[in-house]
Amino acid sequence: MALRKEHAGPPLSLALLLFLGGCAQRGFWLLHPKGAIARTEWHTTVLDVAVMGGVVLVAGGLVAAFLWRYRVGSGSRKYDPTYTSSLVIELLVWGVPLMIVGYLSYFSVKSVFATNPYNPLAIRHALAHPRQTDEAMGRRADPALVSATAPGAHAPRALRVDVVTTDWQWVFIYPRQGVATVDELVVPVRTPVKFDLTSATVVNDFFIPELVGEIDIMPGMRTKQAMIASRTGLYHGYSDDFSGGGFSWMGFSTHVTGRAQFNGWVRRVRAAPDHLTYARFGQIARPTINLAQRVRYFSQVQKGLFDHVIERVMEGKVYRTPLAMTEDMTKPMKVRLIK
Amino acid sequence: MSQEAYVDPATAVLWDQSHTEHDMIATRTLGFWLYLLSDAMIVSSLFASYLVLDHRVNAAAGPTAGDVVHPMAAFWGTVLLFSAILAYGAAMVGLKRGNRTAVLVGLGGAFLLGGGFLLAEGYDFAQLALHGMVPERSGYLSAFYALVLYHGAHLVFGVLWIAVMMAQVARQGFTPNVVYRLLNLKLFWFFQGFIWIYVFSFVYLAGALHVH
Amino acid sequence: MLVDYPGPWTPLLGRLDAHQIPLQNPILFWTFVLVSLGAATVLGAVTYYRSWGYLWREWLTSLDHKRIGVMYCLLGVVMLFRGFIDGVMMRTQQVMAVGPKSPGYLGAVHGYLPPYHFGQIYSAHGTIMILFAITPILVGIMNIIVPLQIGARDMAYPYLNAVSFWLTAAATGLVMISLFIGDFSHAGWVGLSPLTELAYSPGVGVDYWSWAVQIGSVGTTLASINIIATIIKMRAPGMSWTKMPIFCWTALSTSVVGLSSFPVFTAAVALLSLDRYAGTHFFTPGLGGNLMLYTDLFWIWGHPEVYYVVLPAFGILSEIIPTFSEKPLFGYITMAAASIAIGGVSWSVWLHHFFTMGAGPGVNAFFSIASMLVGIPTGVKVFNWAFTLYRGRVRFDVPMLWALAALVLLLTGGLTGMMLAMPAINYTVHNSVFVVAHFHNMLNVVGFACFGAINYWFPKVFGFKLDERTGKLAFWFFSAGTVVLFGSMYALGFMGMPRRIDYIPFTSWRPLLIGEEVGIFLFLIASYYMVKQLFVSIRDRAKNRVTTSDAWGTSRSLEWLAHSPVPFYNFAVQPHVNARDEWAWRREHGLGHVRPDHYEDIHLPNNTPLPLMLGACAFALGFGLVWRMYWLALVSLIGIVIIVIARSFQDDPGHTLPGAQIRQMEAVYPDIPREAGATGGMLGGVVARHALAAPRSRARDD
Ligand code: HEA
Ligand code: HEA
Ligand code: CUA
Ligand SMILES: [Cu+2]
Repeated sequence: MALRKEHAGPPLSLALLLFLGGCAQRGFWLLHPKGAIARTEWHTTVLDVAVMGGVVLVAGGLVAAFLWRYRVGSGSRKYDPTYTSSLVIELLVWGVPLMIVGYLSYFSVKSVFATNPYNPLAIRHALAHPRQTDEAMGRRADPALVSATAPGAHAPRALRVDVVTTDWQWVFIYPRQGVATVDELVVPVRTPVKFDLTSATVVNDFFIPELVGEIDIMPGMRTKQAMIASRTGLYHGYSDDFSGGGFSWMGFSTHVTGRAQFNGWVRRVRAAPDHLTYARFGQIARPTINLAQRVRYFSQVQKGLFDHVIERVMEGKVYRTPLAMTEDMTKPMKVRLIK
Repeated sequence: MSQEAYVDPATAVLWDQSHTEHDMIATRTLGFWLYLLSDAMIVSSLFASYLVLDHRVNAAAGPTAGDVVHPMAAFWGTVLLFSAILAYGAAMVGLKRGNRTAVLVGLGGAFLLGGGFLLAEGYDFAQLALHGMVPERSGYLSAFYALVLYHGAHLVFGVLWIAVMMAQVARQGFTPNVVYRLLNLKLFWFFQGFIWIYVFSFVYLAGALHVH
Repeated sequence: MLVDYPGPWTPLLGRLDAHQIPLQNPILFWTFVLVSLGAATVLGAVTYYRSWGYLWREWLTSLDHKRIGVMYCLLGVVMLFRGFIDGVMMRTQQVMAVGPKSPGYLGAVHGYLPPYHFGQIYSAHGTIMILFAITPILVGIMNIIVPLQIGARDMAYPYLNAVSFWLTAAATGLVMISLFIGDFSHAGWVGLSPLTELAYSPGVGVDYWSWAVQIGSVGTTLASINIIATIIKMRAPGMSWTKMPIFCWTALSTSVVGLSSFPVFTAAVALLSLDRYAGTHFFTPGLGGNLMLYTDLFWIWGHPEVYYVVLPAFGILSEIIPTFSEKPLFGYITMAAASIAIGGVSWSVWLHHFFTMGAGPGVNAFFSIASMLVGIPTGVKVFNWAFTLYRGRVRFDVPMLWALAALVLLLTGGLTGMMLAMPAINYTVHNSVFVVAHFHNMLNVVGFACFGAINYWFPKVFGFKLDERTGKLAFWFFSAGTVVLFGSMYALGFMGMPRRIDYIPFTSWRPLLIGEEVGIFLFLIASYYMVKQLFVSIRDRAKNRVTTSDAWGTSRSLEWLAHSPVPFYNFAVQPHVNARDEWAWRREHGLGHVRPDHYEDIHLPNNTPLPLMLGACAFALGFGLVWRMYWLALVSLIGIVIIVIARSFQDDPGHTLPGAQIRQMEAVYPDIPREAGATGGMLGGVVARHALAAPRSRARDD
């Protein structure tokens, strides 16, 4: 990565540079956020590491210096076993960390509200000041984003996606578009996306490292998440809370596309023969490992399916994991495998 | 050089020859208090669970507190339990006087009254079960049974312990071991009454007042 | 019974049948063969050397706090090794199963472990390491050291002490036997809810986990009661609270944490068992259950538990660092206060383990700040250790090396802990291997402190030092392994890698996974040197014999006044405490070798096999419940009740050691250092009574 491109800014971005300089660009997803939420989260990380890193370096440096200075054989003649307490030092070691914690607490509270899954201020902020949010991170502002909210352009309407997890697949329902997919999420760029999430079985965790942080998905309950993507591309999403045998394969691909491509995609899905009724959902929810990451499209979705899943779970509906899937350690996995 | 050389080394006492016997009974009682603290933590967890699950949603369209609890029945249970505690108190008075018969009579009373409480509670639960209000029915009922029966299980243990102590008092008289056990059992027995106050108010009274 | 689980059931054997012994799995088969061979060798050796009587009299039925402590440590170290093997298996699977093209062996699609087996390994690893390795080692160390440091003859309740130990051993036994009969849980050491419910884990694995941790946590609760009462009631005359050694302060604080938090854990898991056995709905997703309730209850224990293990480790560092700096601990009062503060704050931070559950920003912010507050007293400790070094004379003996490395680990682990404590950061790394790296970093603080403590107090207990050269090699390899393995793991966290995956979907993670594998090799070398250190030390014990009570020459607290190895009665006469660092005070005033001039009779409890039997019953109870052999569970429950009642009728009269005999035994110990150390059957370590009483005991040294 070329250093010149970075804005020589406050020390924060310098710390950021240090981080980026040491690592290969590829793979370190958290270091390369592609959305306002993820960016705020990374920003907080950098700040916290910078502050705490300083403190820890001081503490470690003190220890190292004393070890060196007062090691046996150092020739130090200052041996003084009576030096066992000092009011000044005590005040410093209690007081200074207290102040630092106060400082960090302030930022913690601020960033909690900025990334609050139910109402992330970061998205509002990004929509209102696209240029500023990008540059605050010492990154080149995304010209596309700038033009999208240029005077005259109005903020795009949020896209709603209902997410249901099963053992071990993802069902994405687009209630407004009336379509659904399995294991593929497609969203338009620079558009706020609002998720409602629930699980048909056990707890999962919704995570797209480059775009948005985690939120738990719980059976019989509804959680929410919101995100906005600033760049088109393919991003990996997966469950981040262990949910049984097929957990490792529980990934989904997230395509962030332009508005037009998104509409085209919706049209393609609308042509799919499959319909997502509750009965069909019950088939999908049977323990299945989607080894091949095969994607499925549904051109119609039963109204209120999401709420129905929640209700049924609350009434005691369970999708049992067969014994052979959980206990048998010797034979190949005995669930439905999609290869 | 140590930081607090206030003691003059020349005259310092180095060894404690004065035969300090640790006060056995006090040590044992302290330990029992600590045990009670740990038990109180379990009870608090159960209470927390009860309060979380005492909600319309958790009744899963089944019976709620209002349908399950009978404060009057529980009131008579309370009377029995507190009489049992009173009886134990009488036994403690007997212990102070060193009167073996008084202790035995007090313990016997506590045994019977405690047993009576258990029978009444058992009857109550049998009635509930007959009406299909079993713990498997809903999260609320699970929490209800767990909390009340945890207290009940303690009483079973307490009654058993009283029986054992009656045997020991009769056989051994007031040896230090018997005395400390009687004292600990007192703590245990009173503690059950203490917990019952909470069960009675939060489960039975509050349950009866529920408006749905 | 009340619940429907798949599979057959018979009244006699419950769910157990021959298929449950996984002989067809080569990994388990060979483990089974190895463990059986090992057990046969040990039992054979005991029989060959006719040590059964000795084992029974001096160890299995002993109520001596040092013996029990040593058994605790032994149990912990063995389990640490088991946990390490688990770690090796996990790392190897993860480095093999990268990307869709990676081959699969032994029935796995990728790598060599199918998902459920992998799940069992990390669940067993986490449970074992925290509850049955690190905790027993720490409780063992507290058992040995606390009474010595406060000048007591034993714990407040020696019998209860043995019961605690045997309950822990029974729980450990349950975890171990799950390897060969049936399965272990796959739901993590935290028992992820509702994955632990019967619908999603229909086998016996979760039951093994739940009964083992319930029995184990009863043992630990009882141990906490014992330590608190010991510290409150048994301190030697003159030892006011401000003269109490700092390790005792941390032991006190930790035991208060343990006493108040372990019962919550027991309750949470007991309710889970009700769900699984009685069909209740505490944590089920439907029918009115609330799975978040479990998560809360678990972490209300789970978080204090991590401070439960770290506080004694802090105590250990606070003993080792002054000794090898030849200076008293800096800021004693604030160190004690910080210990209490850490214990206290630990109660109000549990929610930071599930920031992502969707609580409101206010709640998350509150727990974020509370979590960060813990950094303050911890920082106080770090700085006070630093100022203990200041103007000292620092030596780098093996215990000191472990202690200093622990300090460094604490700094890095604290840094990452402070990151996790910020919800906005936590949202990106929660449940990733970043968290795993954080807590291994922190738990290794505890591990390093334990290794330091073992090296530090070994001569006190066994009368000879551990070998220095191999000890240093073990230290350096272990440290290198820690840096390489967990360093790579931190980096993987920033790549978004989730924890608990048995198949790695992204090949870009491979280089760092290979880095972790290198770390495992370094750990392997380290454990080779650890075993070698023990072996060499025992072989050369005559050379490493310590000749004075003060093995390091610069120790400070009261335990160093007792002879090395410590005789079974600890102090012939109870010491009177004059200073905070009593031993250092006596040494510096030339009083180190002043003998009491009069010996009184000592009263000691008799040995009893009842705690061992209680442990056996608890094991049978757990086993019966796991397999739903209800008759066995009932029989062992009745057995427990009978033993408890029988004990209460027994009224152990104990036995009295006449003062004259003590004088004679004490004569074995020289006032002035001499070439050969005091007696001691090597095996006995802490000196056995027969070794002291019999005149030929000295001849046994060579
Ligand atoms: C105290 C706790 C503790 C300790 C010490 C360790 C130590 C180690 N742990 Fe573990 N670990 C956990 C607690 C601990 N762990 C927990 C709680 C989990 C989470 C489980 C879950 O997800 O639910 C976990 C999970 C965990 C994972 C799973 C990660 C995932 O979820 O993807 C991995 C994978 O690599 C791992 C590896 C290791 C390794 C390599 C070590 C090494 O550091 C081990 C080093 C040990 C040795 C090298 C042995 C030393 C030698 C001896 C003891 C023999 C000496 C003998 C004599 C002296 C006679 N651990
Ligand atoms: C010994 C064990 C131990 C210790 C001591 C700690 C210490 C800390 N831990 Fe850790 N932690 C674990 C063991 C431990 N942890 C385990 C086992 C888990 C995960 C379990 C699982 O999920 O399986 C976990 C998980 C965990 C999480 C949840 C992560 C997640 O799942 O998303 C969080 C979040 O806040 C956290 C925070 C902290 C903090 C703030 C400290 C603090 O106490 C650290 C304090 C130390 C310092 C800060 C450094 C020294 C101080 C200074 C140099 C002074 C200056 C300091 C300031 C100015 C603040 N820990
Ligand atoms: Cu947490 Cu639902
Ligand atoms: Cu925590």
